[in-house]
Amino acid sequence: MEKYEKLEKVGEGTYGKVYKAKDKASGKLVALKKTRLEMDEEGIPPTALREVSLLQLLSQSLYVVRLLCVEHVDSSTSTNDSSSKSNLYLVFEYLDTDLKKFIDSHRKGVNPRPLPPTLIQSFLYQLCKGVAHCHSHGVLHRDLKPQNLLLDKDKGLLKIADLGLGRAFTVPLKSYTHEIVTLWYRAPEVLLGSTHYSPAVDIWSVGCIFAEMVRRQALFPGDSEFQQLLHIFRLLGTPTEKEWPGVTSLRDWHVYPVWEPQNLARAVPSLGPEGVDLLSSMLKYNPADRISAKAAMDHPYFDSLDKSQY
Amino acid sequence: MEFDLENPFTSFVVEEEQQSGTILDLFVSESDHMPSQNFTTKFLEDEMEGFHVSFRQEAVSLILQAQFSCNFEPFIPYLAVTYLDRFIFRQQIQFGKPWIVKLLVVSCISLAAKMKNTHFPVSEFQREEGFMFDAQTIHRMELLILDALNWRMRSITPFSFLCFFISLFKLKDPPLTQALKDRAIDIIFKAHNEIKLIEFKPSIIAASALLLSSHELFPLQFSAFKASVSSCEYVNKEKLLKCFDTMQEMVEMEEGFDSISMSSSTRTPVSVLDYKCSSKSSVSQRTAAATAVMPLQKRETKRRKTNGFCSENRFQLSRIQQCL
Repeated sequence: MEKYEKLEKVGEGTYGKVYKAKDKASGKLVALKKTRLEMDEEGIPPTALREVSLLQLLSQSLYVVRLLCVEHVDSSTSTNDSSSKSNLYLVFEYLDTDLKKFIDSHRKGVNPRPLPPTLIQSFLYQLCKGVAHCHSHGVLHRDLKPQNLLLDKDKGLLKIADLGLGRAFTVPLKSYTHEIVTLWYRAPEVLLGSTHYSPAVDIWSVGCIFAEMVRRQALFPGDSEFQQLLHIFRLLGTPTEKEWPGVTSLRDWHVYPVWEPQNLARAVPSLGPEGVDLLSSMLKYNPADRISAKAAMDHPYFDSLDKSQY
Repeated sequence: MEFDLENPFTSFVVEEEQQSGTILDLFVSESDHMPSQNFTTKFLEDEMEGFHVSFRQEAVSLILQAQFSCNFEPFIPYLAVTYLDRFIFRQQIQFGKPWIVKLLVVSCISLAAKMKNTHFPVSEFQREEGFMFDAQTIHRMELLILDALNWRMRSITPFSFLCFFISLFKLKDPPLTQALKDRAIDIIFKAHNEIKLIEFKPSIIAASALLLSSHELFPLQFSAFKASVSSCEYVNKEKLLKCFDTMQEMVEMEEGFDSISMSSSTRTPVSVLDYKCSSKSSVSQRTAAATAVMPLQKRETKRRKTNGFCSENRFQLSRIQQCL
């Protein structure tokens, strides 16, 4: 790790601390993500091995934050202790901003203004492309949110971060510092306790992020799982067995107030009809009815986009 | 997050429409999973050649020994050999120290077994082979390997390309398709131990193995298959032909020898060197039988200065066949 000079802590990823650092040899900025690795008598845990190597593969996409290398630091104090604590540093390319900061800068500050529609279209397309890439490799992100989408403002690129460490590092309800992990982008089937995750959970998040870029504020800002569901139901109507077979048998299903679906277009007033159509296909209750990332890329909303540059 | 060598990029069954992009990714990334770009130069023309060749053969032989004694599915030793190859051509090995090859082998197998979620009885295996490294040493070696390979452990292997190339053949009969694939898998396993094939990309190995398989199973369609594979935009035709020829030579040598041994059971084919090899093994009975079907004379020219290991490698090859 002496190759890097730690500059500052830039955040708490879902799985641990993230530092901004400088590669001493090249002078390039990197993001160091520190992950604890519980070494037992078997050495490197198989799950960590499989997942980091998967991350290594996935990060070859332009729309996924590039994993530059992996550094292992042994921090065991006694040498005869077979279960040593050690840290794994994942060294990523550094990007200086994320979609949350970017949206915030358009909402408040000196010059509040909407995000340009063509930029929303471009970011959403890149997001779909990155998500399609992950899904084609069998990887679900499960925690997509604006903070996890890093931006290269000069090149207009959006890259997915905080990806893939699914099983060795299970998604916690509370983050490393016990701040509550945001529920705003969580799919209704997850909130209702479904144990079967499908790629559709990520598409729901993409839909929420799409709406947020248009509105400059979150679509469903719940502060508890229950409140989160009520936010969703109020806008999209309380789901029924008819539109979502099996919903009332999900583990955490209760009896909820019955709301009728509202007009989705009113929640995203500046979005044209094609955008609204794409959004509504991303926010379908039944996961099986939700559009796939790949199909979303062919949606008419993107017809006016020059796809050849992506 | 399971790891399937035929499908290294996915960890669950993905829908067909989502899969189309991955084959291109495979062709783009495969070189990252090869021992080295300038592999041939380093390996075959280097003055260290003898050391490299014998080191690799000793290692491969020990890996196959582990497959046999731990009853591993053949993908585990296959994966271990890919790690070994990538490691030894990235790292300066101190060839002089005989324990290095053993430590490296144990660590490569351990990593491969972890990737395949299979238990590797490290201590038992070491005891059987007459050496013992402590767990810490093996873990440190694992980390050294991971570091050298930059944690790219989802090796892209020829198996990853089989379905793609088979789809080019447009076969309609599922049992025939399966037969074609099974034979190609068989050939790929053999090819992994053949040092001359190490320079070829995984996709080229896969394409050649399928062509060779089709040549044996449906000779009438062979030229049509060859045409469709050669016209594939990702395939370098020249390399394909070169690889195909080398592979055919490898297979013919074995089969030619099989038929010889069938016709003349009274031959005494076991050389002094092979005796030495078999005596190392705990299963001498079976090894001797396997050694008997080695194409000794034909290998003579290839044996050169590193002779012993070549033949050792061969008997292990026949053994892997028995395990399949």
